[in-house]
Amino acid sequence: MKISNLLEKDFKLVEKKKIFFLIPVAIVLIAAIFMLIYGLVFGSPLNLGTDFTGGYSLDVRLGTKLTEANRSEYEKQVRSIIENLENENGTSYGIKVKAIQLQGSGDSSALHIMYEAVAEGVVMDSEINPKLQETLQSAIFKIIPAVTVDGSEVTLAYQFSFKDGQNTDSANRTFDSVKTRIEGIDGLQVSSVVCSEDYRSIIVTLGSAPADEMLDNIRNAATIDDKYSGLVSMGSATSAAFSSELLWSAFAAILASVVLMLVYIAFRFELTSGISAIIALFHDILIMFCFMVIFHIEINSTFIAALITILGYSINNTIIVFDRIRENKKTMLSGEGNAALIANKSVSETLLRSLNTTLTTLLTIGMVAILGVRDIKIFALPIIIGLLAGTYSSICISPAVWASWKDRKKRKGVQSESKEPTKAVAIK
Amino acid sequence: MKKKSSIVKLSVIGVVLIIGIVLSFCSFDIGLTTYKSFASSIKLGLDLKGGVYAVYESVDENTENLDERMEGTRTMLLNLLQKKGYPEATIVKEGTSRLRVEVPDVDNPQEIFSIIGKPASIRFVLDETNEQVITGDHIERAEPGYTATDGYVVQLTLNSEGADRFADATTNNINKTMSIYVQVAGEEEQKISSPTISVAITNGRAVINGMRDYDEAKNLSDQIMSGTFSVKLSLMDSSTVSATLGEQALFYGLLAGAIGLALVIVFMCVVYKLLGAAASVSLIVYTILMLFFLAVIPGVQLTLPGIAGIILSLGMAVDANVIIYERMKYEYRNGKSIMASSFAGFRRATMAIVDSNVTTIIAGIMLFIFGTGSIRGFAITLLIGIVLSLFTSMIVTRGIVKYFININSTNPKLYGFRRGKGFENVEADQTDVSVQQQMDKEREEKEEKKRAKKDKDKNAGGLANENI
Repeated sequence: MKISNLLEKDFKLVEKKKIFFLIPVAIVLIAAIFMLIYGLVFGSPLNLGTDFTGGYSLDVRLGTKLTEANRSEYEKQVRSIIENLENENGTSYGIKVKAIQLQGSGDSSALHIMYEAVAEGVVMDSEINPKLQETLQSAIFKIIPAVTVDGSEVTLAYQFSFKDGQNTDSANRTFDSVKTRIEGIDGLQVSSVVCSEDYRSIIVTLGSAPADEMLDNIRNAATIDDKYSGLVSMGSATSAAFSSELLWSAFAAILASVVLMLVYIAFRFELTSGISAIIALFHDILIMFCFMVIFHIEINSTFIAALITILGYSINNTIIVFDRIRENKKTMLSGEGNAALIANKSVSETLLRSLNTTLTTLLTIGMVAILGVRDIKIFALPIIIGLLAGTYSSICISPAVWASWKDRKKRKGVQSESKEPTKAVAIK
Repeated sequence: MKKKSSIVKLSVIGVVLIIGIVLSFCSFDIGLTTYKSFASSIKLGLDLKGGVYAVYESVDENTENLDERMEGTRTMLLNLLQKKGYPEATIVKEGTSRLRVEVPDVDNPQEIFSIIGKPASIRFVLDETNEQVITGDHIERAEPGYTATDGYVVQLTLNSEGADRFADATTNNINKTMSIYVQVAGEEEQKISSPTISVAITNGRAVINGMRDYDEAKNLSDQIMSGTFSVKLSLMDSSTVSATLGEQALFYGLLAGAIGLALVIVFMCVVYKLLGAAASVSLIVYTILMLFFLAVIPGVQLTLPGIAGIILSLGMAVDANVIIYERMKYEYRNGKSIMASSFAGFRRATMAIVDSNVTTIIAGIMLFIFGTGSIRGFAITLLIGIVLSLFTSMIVTRGIVKYFININSTNPKLYGFRRGKGFENVEADQTDVSVQQQMDKEREEKEEKKRAKKDKDKNAGGLANENI
C-alpha cells in the first residue's frame, strides 16, 4: 500500500482507544515487575550511574615515566587490573572503570581513575581498595620497552637506562634475567641477545621475522620491575557529581515548564487540549523511564538531558495535531460523537507530517546511537524511545483523550434530557 | 523577467551558502592573523577537551557536622564557578574532607583556584564604639564594580539580617566613620578604609572602596565569597587534566552528525523533490548559524550529550518545512494551483509552527531560569535551535520556494504534488473553479470582518472623543 493512500483511509483511532491505552499500561506494569526483580537480585531496582551514586577514585602517579606514547598502554593495563581484580576465592569483584584521565604534567603526571562501588562502603574501604592499591602498585611499576622490528632483528628500547648509578653488576643481573626470559619463550628461535653499553636498549636477533603475537611475548619478557618509581594512592569515595540540589532544580524547571505550557495551550487552544497534551507528555517520559528500567541501562545525568529533550519534542508533536483539530472544528458541525470524528480526521491529515518528522529525527539520532561511544549511546537510546513514544502518543493517545473528554461532557448534557446509551457512537 | 531575477537570486544564495560553509569549517591565515572557523572556536566541555582540576582540603579544626558543611561549601563553590562562566564545572567530594573541582580549560581558571584557596574574612566596625556591624556571615554576594565617586569597589549584597544591622548602624551614626577590615587567610588583618557615613543605607548594599584597579576588586570579591564558605579550604593540588572521553568520542560524534545531516537531505529530496532541496539549503543555513552562535555566545561549553542534542536538532529543524510542505500538498490535492497551494501552505502552517515552537521556547526559558550548570547550557542550545529553525523555515525556505515556483509553476512533478479525487483534470497552474469561488468568498468575508472592525473602532474612537 502506498503511503499517500493512508490519507484516504478513514481511521477510527478514537474508537480503538482501549487498545491504545492498554499498551503503555502494560509496559508500565512490565517495568514495575522488572523493578521488583532487579530490586531483589541486585539490591537496587534502578541502575543508577556514578553521577547519582558517587563512586571511588584513585591516582596512579607515574611522573615522567608517563608519556603521550605509552599513555594508552598504561591505561589499558590499569583498566584490566581493576576490572579483573579477584577476591580470595578467585571470583572477580566486577569493578567497572568509569573514566581514566591524565592529570598534571612532568613530575606530577598521574592517571586519575574513577570506578564504581561494588560493595558497601566498609567492605570497599577495608578490603577492596587496599587490595586494589597493592595489586596496582606491584603490577604497574614496570619499565616497558618500545619494540621495533627490522627483519629478524628486534630492538627493545627503554625510556631510561636500567643501570642504577654506577652499579653495573645489578644492571647485568637485570639484563641476564631478561635474556633468560626471552630465550625461554616457546617457539621463538633466538640467535643472540645483546645489550647496549648505556643499558638503554637490548637487541634480539631471531632466526626469522617474528609474528605479531610473538612481539607481545618478547615485550612482556623484557619488562623490568621498577617498584619504587611511582605511587598508587588508596581509592577513596567520591560523592555524586549530580547533587540532590541539581536534581531538584531540574525537577523545578520541568514542573514550571509543564505548568506554563499548559497555560499557553489552554489560552491558545482550550483547557482540554492542554490537559491531553500534558497526559501525552507524561506518557512519553514514563515510557522512557520504563525502557531504562526494563533493560537496566545506566541512568546518569545524560538521562535528565534526554528527558528534557523529549519534553519539548512531545509537546511539539501534540500541538500539530491539535492545531488541525482547532481548524477542523471550525468547519465541522458540533454534535454528539463529533469530537471523535474531528480527532480522527485531524490525525489522518497530519499523519504524514508526524511520520516524516519522526523519520528525519530518527535518522540523525540513530546515527549517533550507531556510531557514538558508549557514554553517548546511553543518551541516544532513551531519546529514540522517547521519539517513538512521542509519535505514538500524539497519534493514538492525546487526540483520543481529547475526543472522549469532549464527547462525554456533551453527552452528560444530553443525558439529562434523553436516556441514550452512553456508548460512543461511531460515525462514518 | 521574474524568472530571470529568481535565477539570479538563487545563485546569490548558493554563493553565500558556500562562503558560509567555508567560514564554518575552514581555518586559514589572513596576512599575520589566523582566522578560526566557527566550528573550531566552540568551547568544549571537560568530557571532550579536558581542562584543569584542583583539590581542596578542609583546614577547619571544627569537625562538627563536617559532612553537611562540606556539602554546603560544595554548592556555594559550584555557584561561584558557574557565575564565573564555567557552567560545566564539576565538583565531587573525595574522602571526607576534600573537594575535587574540575573546570574546562578556558581563560586561566587556575587563577580562581588559588584565590579560592585564600579565603578572606571581612568586618565592618564602627570606630567610635568599636562595635562590629557586619561580618562575612551577613554577605550573600560580593562583586567587583565601578562608581564615579569611589572608583573601583567591591559591592556587597547583604542577607536580611545583615541589611537590618547595616541600616540601623548607618541611621544612628551619621557623620561618624566606619572602618572596613579584611583578613586574607595566612596574612595580617588590614584596614582597607574608614569612610564617613553620610546617609543611612537601608537597601542592604554595602560597598568596599579604595580598590586600586578592577583586578584587585575582582580578587577581593572572590576571596570574600570563599570566606563565606562554611568550611575553610586550602588548595592542595592543581594542574591540567585530560578529557574523560577523548578525541575518538568527538570524532565519531561529528561523523554521526555529518552522516545524519546527509541522510536527512537525501530523505527530504526524495520525498519532497525540489521543495526538499529548498529545505536542505535551509538546513545547511541552520547548521552554519548554529555553529556561529555556539562559537560567539558566552557560557556555552559543549559536552558530548550537547553535541548529540544538536545533531538531534538537525532532524527536528526540518519539521517546520515538513509541516508546510504537507500543507501545500494537501491544498494542491484539493484543487488549488501550484502558486496558490504554496501561498496557502505557508499561511496556514504558520499558526501550527508558531504555537508548537512557542511551547518549546517556554520550556527552554524555564530550564534556563530554574536550571543550573549543564541544564542551563542545554537550555541555551535548545533556544538557539528553535529560533534558528523558525528563521530558516519561515524566511529562507519561503524565499527559495518562491523563486523555484517563479521559475516553474506548471510542473507538479517537480514538487511531488498530486491532484486528489475530483480534481484530476485541473491544470497545475489553475485553481479549480469551485475552489476559487470558495477562496474568493472567504477573502470577501475576511475583508468584510476587517471593515466592520475598523468601523467599530472608528465609532468607539468617536465616542471616546465625544466623552472628552
